[in-house]
This record gives sequence, structure tokens and C-alpha cells, in this order.
Amino acid sequence: MRFLPYILKHLRRNWVRTGSTVLAMASCVFLFCTLQTFLHSVALSLQSASGTRLVTRHAVSLVFNLPIAYKERIRGVPGVRRVAMANWFGGMRDLSNQRDFFVNFAVEAEPYLEMYPEYMFPEEQKRSFLQDRGGCIVGRETADKFGWRLGDTFQLESFIAPYRADRPFEFVLRGIYDTDQNRYPGTLRTVMLFHHDYLYEKTGRNVGAGTFIIEVDQPERAAAVSEAVDALFRNSEAETKTETEQAFRAGFVSLAGNLALLLNGIALAVMFTILLVTANTMSMAVRERRTEIAVLKTLGFPSRLVMGLVQAESGFLGALGGGVGVLLGWAVIRYLPDIPVLGSLIKAYFPNLVLSPIIAAIGLGAAIALGLSAGFVPAVLAYRARITEALRQV
Amino acid sequence: MALVEVIQLRKVYQRDAEKITVLDGIDLQVPEGEFVALMGPSGSGKTTLLNLIAGIDRPTSGSIRVAGTDLAALSESALARWRSRSVGFIFQFYNLIPVLTALENVELPLLLERLSARERRERAMTALKIVALTDRSGHYPRQLSGGQEQRVAIARAIVTDPRVLVADEPTGDLDAHSAEEILTLMEALNRDFKKTIVMVTHDPRASKRAHTQKHLDKGVLTDEA
Repeated sequence: MRFLPYILKHLRRNWVRTGSTVLAMASCVFLFCTLQTFLHSVALSLQSASGTRLVTRHAVSLVFNLPIAYKERIRGVPGVRRVAMANWFGGMRDLSNQRDFFVNFAVEAEPYLEMYPEYMFPEEQKRSFLQDRGGCIVGRETADKFGWRLGDTFQLESFIAPYRADRPFEFVLRGIYDTDQNRYPGTLRTVMLFHHDYLYEKTGRNVGAGTFIIEVDQPERAAAVSEAVDALFRNSEAETKTETEQAFRAGFVSLAGNLALLLNGIALAVMFTILLVTANTMSMAVRERRTEIAVLKTLGFPSRLVMGLVQAESGFLGALGGGVGVLLGWAVIRYLPDIPVLGSLIKAYFPNLVLSPIIAAIGLGAAIALGLSAGFVPAVLAYRARITEALRQV
Repeated sequence: MALVEVIQLRKVYQRDAEKITVLDGIDLQVPEGEFVALMGPSGSGKTTLLNLIAGIDRPTSGSIRVAGTDLAALSESALARWRSRSVGFIFQFYNLIPVLTALENVELPLLLERLSARERRERAMTALKIVALTDRSGHYPRQLSGGQEQRVAIARAIVTDPRVLVADEPTGDLDAHSAEEILTLMEALNRDFKKTIVMVTHDPRASKRAHTQKHLDKGVLTDEA
């Protein structure tokens, strides 16, 4: 501890260089923390997908609906227990106000809710919702956001052209669901569900099924059922693509397979670059202090202590950068969802976006390790520096 | 018995295939309380001899004993420990740490001792008082004149109360007035604090302040005429 002021004074010696190195290190840790937090959130979201649920959609694109008649044929496939239509509605209270964005689906309520036990609400609310064609249920977070209470009415208008009617859709809030994040981690608390029939009627019976949610009787039959469903409609005008809910979600949030690998690759590349930057900084710092190092040794500082001081300085640089990076990451992750429009989208796609202590600790630890690694060679050079040679370079 | 005892000291540098003999069988006795000036032309080996006496270089052969300690027998870490307690080094270009204040520079050698921060500060202030620079304790080297910097460097050299001070051209970078001040200070350290001083100098006026003058030429030591 008695050497700490000495180390700190040296860090302040060339504050532009120290500041830029800390900033570079902070950017690296910030990137790491935010990317990992987003990946963690996606992983949580994928975790919440059930192994018994499949999603069938149009083989070309989600944009195209499937014929409603497919439902009965899918129900006939061996291994299928339930089928429910679900359409992404894209409804908003005010289309010009993107801040209001939240996820809403038109679903076949009865089978859908049977398949999704993660939406938890009192039986009477469920009954009330099922009996009211204009009724809806929303997650607690959305209800709180808009100040909605049971029985409240509100209007939504879809930004998806085929789902737009002459007048906005009017809904009555019949239920507010909660979730158990321990049993069903990653379940969104922002979703609104309403009746597919209502959408169908309000749009002049012109819409089909955006997706079919299928529940299979045994998870191990998922692949066979998917294959059987798609085989039913092969060579038809609307071929289908059936996959597990997890695969569907991963694809839907553009996380087709290698995103984690890509993001981790970026983080690694950035870290390696920062390692070089910090190593260069420390090398320069030691090179321009060769005489001082010789003076310290002349005064009786053992070579190991001199080496330790250089390593400590380098480690401190890493810790400082890591600390700033973690703080920056925490602040961005904490306040990003509050940004209009972007925040709403982030909340919708990345639920539970919180910088976990483990990610923060790994980020900080990596920064310190980077700092120490970057300082190792300069520290060894300082250790080996011969007093008489270094003094001669005055 | 001499405080500094140099016997048949040789120092040979190897440059590629060539061997350069810098010191060739030097014998030197410096009694305690002595003030010795080492003179000689550039490249005569003065600084090398000084470095060997201060324990910052190793001889090729021969022995150096300072206060009874055979420096050649000490390991690197033991030699570092010995330097911190037994010898104070004064450089030509002061070599203060630019990011530290005068007081912090003087405190630096005390960081190696088991002392509280308060004790360190008190000792450093005492050393600064001896060199009459207490009023500049909070100044950084860049805020001091050359003479003041050298006085801080002297305070740093004496703060651990070593028996021997070695000075490598301590007035070489100073104007005549500042040089006089430094030499007067060194005389006082020798006279009042009984420090044994070995000083390398080119300056005949500086050498006259010493009790003994030695001349070094081509690695051989002779008494000054």
C-alpha cells in the first residue's frame, strides 16, 4: 500500500496516454459486458421455449399467412395434441408514437393458453377473457406501463397493412398475467393476447394464420411431427416450415446459429487489440523511465520490487479501465430500455436485460488480466535493466 | 581501519571480441570521515570506480570492502539492501523523479524501511532541513533551480543516514554560484555529520574542497601532485 501513491503518480505522468489507454480498455470491457448481457438475455428467452411446442409458418417468409384450413389437417398428424393459430398483430395505441410499442398477438385463446402455462392469472380472469370476443390479456409490465386496470378499454391500430381495418380495434382488458421467472425464466411480461376470431372478423375474414403453434404429446416426437406436418403441404401453394419454438425464436430474433460465436469473436478480437495497445503503452512508459528505474535500483529497490511496481501499474491501468467499462455497461444496460422507440424494441426482444454480477466480474477480471499480461514484458525488462547501462543513457 | 577498502580491483568490459580494461589493479583506502576527490580525464574509469564502491556494478576481479562488508560476496538482493542502508548516491543530473515532489523524492528510499508514513515524512523533512529546502518541500523538480534540485538529491542521499556518500560530478551541471553552494553543503555533511565522501569531479575548484585528491588515468590510480 505504501507504494500506491507512487504508482498513481506515475499513471498521472502522461494523463493523455493513461486516459486513452483506460478508455480503450473501458470500451473493450463495455463491449464485452453489453454483448454478453444481450446474449444472456437471448439465452434466457430461448430457455423459456418449451420442448413440446412447435411453430409452423409459411416456408417462404413469416410475412405470408397460411390458410386457416391447415389447422384441422395439422391436428390430424399423429403425435399432435393441440394446435392454435397465432398472428403477430403489430398493434399500437398511436402509430406515430413509437414509444408505445409492445408485443401483441391474435391467438386462438383456449388451446393457446392451455399450451402456455407460463402466463399465470386467476381463473375468473381467464373465463372472462374467453367469453369476451373483444377481450384481451396483458402482461403485468405493460399494464403498469399504460396504467391499465381490469375492465379498461383501449384502442390499437396495426402497422401491418392486412390487419388494418377502417377503424382501430377496441379491446377490453379482461386479465393481467404474471410469470414465475424461476419456473419459466425469460418469459416476457409485456405481451398482449387477444382473440384471433376478432382479428378475423374485423379484417373482413381476409386474414389467415400467421403461425400455428403445435403441442406434441412427447418432446422426442418433435422432429417426426415437424417432418410430417411439412410433408402434408409439400408442393402446395403455401408450403410450411415447422420447427421447435426455440429454433423459431432464434431465427425470429435473427440469431441464426452463429451470432454468439460472432459476438464472442468480436469481443476476443477487441480484447487482443487492447492487449497490444496496453502493452505498447506500458513499453513506452518503461522505456522513457529507464533512468528512473536505474535510480530506484541505485537507491536500493530490489529488481523484483521494481518489476512488481511496473506490473502493479499495468494491473491498475487494467482495473481502472475495467471499472469504467463495467460502469458504462451497467449504465447503458440500465438506461437503454428508457430510450424512446429503441427502448421499447429492446424490452420486447430482450427481456430481463440486467448486467449480471458474474458478467461484470468476468469483464473486470479480464481487464485486470489484460493489464497484467500487457505489463509483463515491460516489467521483465525493468527487472533485467542494469543500473550502469540505464544511467549511461541520461 | 579504512571504511572503504579497494584491493587489486580490475574491471574489464567485453565489447564484441575486444576486451577493454577500464580499471587495472586499483588499490584505494578511504578512512572514515574522509572526503576524497577522484579526478582524471574522460574515460579514465572514475565513474566505474565510483559505481563499484557504491555497489551498483560488479568488479571483474579484486575486492571492495565497505565498512567491513565484502560487496562481491553479496547476492543481487543483498547488495540492493546494502545500498539502501549504507550508501547515498548523488548524480550529476540529479535524477529526481519528475512526478514526485521534493519531499516525496526524499522519502523514496524510506519506502524500503518499516516506517509509518508520519515517520517517513519527519525524516524526509529533517533531511530537507539539512539542505535548507523545507520551504520547497511541496515543489516538483521542474519548479526548482538546478542547485535546488541537487540539494534535494543530496537530501535523498542522506535520508537513510548512510556512512558513505558517493557523488558523480555533483557540480557538473551547475553554474559557479550553485556549485559553490553544493560543495559547501558537502563539506558540512563531511565535517558536521561525519559522512565519508567519495566524489568524482573534473572541476579543480571542487577537488580542492576535498581532503584528498586522487588521479585516475588509463585505469591506474595515483595521488594528485
